[in-house]
Amino acid sequence: MKKQRAFILSGLIPALLLVLAFTYYPFLKGIVMAFQEYKLFDLRSVHFVGIDNFKAAFKDPKFIMALQNSGYWVVISLFFQFFLGLTLALLMKKQFRGRGIYQGFVFYSWALSGFLIGMIWKWMFNSQIGVINDLLLKLGIIEERIGFLSNPHWAMFSVIIANVWYGVAFFAIMLLAALQSVPSELYEAAVMDGASGVRKLWNVTLPYIMPTIIATTLLRAIWIFNDPTIIYGLTNGGPAGSTHILSSLMLDKIIYGGDYGAASAIGIIMIAILLLYTIFFLSVTKAEKAGEF
Amino acid sequence: MIRRQKVIVSLLCAVLTVGLLAGCSGKNGNGGSGDKVTLRMIESLTSPKRTELIQAMITKFEEANPNIKVEFISPPFDQADNKIRTMLGSDEQLDVLEVRDLTVAEFVNNGYIEPLNSYTDKWKDFATVSAVSKSVGTVGDKLYFVPNGLYQRQMFYRSDWLKEAGLNPPTTWEELYDTAKKLTDPAKNRFGFSFRGGAGSNGTTDAMILAFNGDKVNLDDSMFTKDGATIYSTPEAKAAMELYLKLYKDASPPDSINWGFQEQVQAFTSGVAGILLQDPDVIQSLQEKMTEGTWATAPLVTGPTGKALFAAGGAGWGITAKSKHKEEAWKLVEFLSSPAENTKFSKDYGLIPIHSSATEDEFFKTGPYKTLIDMSNKPDTFVNYKPAFQYPGTGQWGQVTMETGQSLLLGKSNLEDTLKKWDEYWVDQKTTLKQ
Repeated sequence: MKKQRAFILSGLIPALLLVLAFTYYPFLKGIVMAFQEYKLFDLRSVHFVGIDNFKAAFKDPKFIMALQNSGYWVVISLFFQFFLGLTLALLMKKQFRGRGIYQGFVFYSWALSGFLIGMIWKWMFNSQIGVINDLLLKLGIIEERIGFLSNPHWAMFSVIIANVWYGVAFFAIMLLAALQSVPSELYEAAVMDGASGVRKLWNVTLPYIMPTIIATTLLRAIWIFNDPTIIYGLTNGGPAGSTHILSSLMLDKIIYGGDYGAASAIGIIMIAILLLYTIFFLSVTKAEKAGEF
Repeated sequence: MIRRQKVIVSLLCAVLTVGLLAGCSGKNGNGGSGDKVTLRMIESLTSPKRTELIQAMITKFEEANPNIKVEFISPPFDQADNKIRTMLGSDEQLDVLEVRDLTVAEFVNNGYIEPLNSYTDKWKDFATVSAVSKSVGTVGDKLYFVPNGLYQRQMFYRSDWLKEAGLNPPTTWEELYDTAKKLTDPAKNRFGFSFRGGAGSNGTTDAMILAFNGDKVNLDDSMFTKDGATIYSTPEAKAAMELYLKLYKDASPPDSINWGFQEQVQAFTSGVAGILLQDPDVIQSLQEKMTEGTWATAPLVTGPTGKALFAAGGAGWGITAKSKHKEEAWKLVEFLSSPAENTKFSKDYGLIPIHSSATEDEFFKTGPYKTLIDMSNKPDTFVNYKPAFQYPGTGQWGQVTMETGQSLLLGKSNLEDTLKKWDEYWVDQKTTLKQ
């Protein structure tokens, strides 16, 4: 028995080493760095500074702005991605000619990289040569070109639009898969009971796909929160830092400042926020349901 | 049976473990095979076309030196310098590296790179390397890299627009503003100036403030005046920045607050903006995308005292202090920097060659390069200064100016506060350097 256990343990070593090397080492290193002055420009004077990096973050107006922006960014993006995605999924559930091709078009955006999407939308939003301004002008909706990315009031709104466009496909794919698994007998029984279209959706469809909804919204919120690529491609956090979210600010600290200490501190704060969010979300939505996904 | 399975599983685990551990110790030298030396070389100012040109030179070098193999690393442009820093900081094998005017002081301070004087002493072509090229690669009294070409700003303008409006190319910043304002017509989606408020915005603000300060500037320590104050603390700096704000408000597209290099050039080539201040590396794309005769070049505009201060910038090849193959590495640097290779590279990529002999070439004496040569012939008007590359904070300066500059343009902060911040930044740099 003892021999058997030793054998099992020895068999686990490679897997354990892999996980240690690629998951826990960077994670622990990140925690350590958050308490250090660690600048790429000056690697010779790396030293511990206690919680200075955290204090500096909370004193930095850019960080506070990024924290607020992260809130808008996640809530608004998730809300529209989900509802538009659900609408698309319901529409695509019906059989119609050319459904396959149509689905291909809908899912296309999900296949692109976030950075590329940022670049594409950057040109579309361009106030001089962008297609969006052109269209709005020709339709007579606006009289003057709008600086979507240069005006801080518009900039956050613009990056969120690009992000909504990107994520709709994800919800459409996931929810369509869930919708297709709803047994038709349930609908037949509902019809026998005299249920209308809306009632069927409310009493049959939604409860049945609820585990998928819970799992996908949980996951997607975390991804949106963590993903800076669209913002990076579109505005680089500008103008004057007005479109930074926490993850893009963290990248900024590394790319332009070489400041791994400050960036790690932001990373730790992000992990704390996500932990709180996950605990809250799972307790509100009754976690056991999500497990069935 | 079970026993056999156990043995196989154990073996597999052992192989995996060993493989994993071997993978961790990634110090690969030249593989120990014979006398062939492998040099690892990394570039910084990566762009697809440039990488291709450098790769072609390397292939040529390898053919001439069958005993040397060059492993060429090209990280994406925005990550390149951090990649180089990480490699140097973690003692990864690296022999030849692209050092920039912006990074050289930092690399020297950290002891990462080797002085090249003992090599250049024996190099026959060193005599024709221009004084400016030498100065770009020098820290203290030692040369740390041989530039692979120089960048120097000049003015590009839409000659057809100016002709249509009956205007002459501007020669001062005030004239530039007036001309640009006259060319601006937002209804036609036309703007006078191709403004750059995003990454690299300090190219414009610093140029204006230096030109306005004129003779006051300490040319050897250009962020400071001859009295030792920063150039941002003078009344001239305030005047320069007032004009800068007007230039953005009255003559530039509002979007340009976010523009970096790419957008700035694109606006000029696509007919949105009429005046562009840029380095010669844009010449090729202007030639490709614009009709001949619609654009021309002119020297930099001057400040109120009739002077324009300019600095030639550059990047080039250096050797790491920890390289085990310094002789071979120098051979490569010498080859890449030879008059033949450097002149070809400069022509193909749009740079000023480092050998003074090359500027005798007809190619550089005519066309868009001519104004650069004209500028160098008028040293009283176009004054060459040494950028503040000896300060460790130079690399961060661009980011600081971009952010504070954008909030100034947006009206979120005022001019006095912005200039005060800039002033404090450089006062602080000076004190840190002294310590």
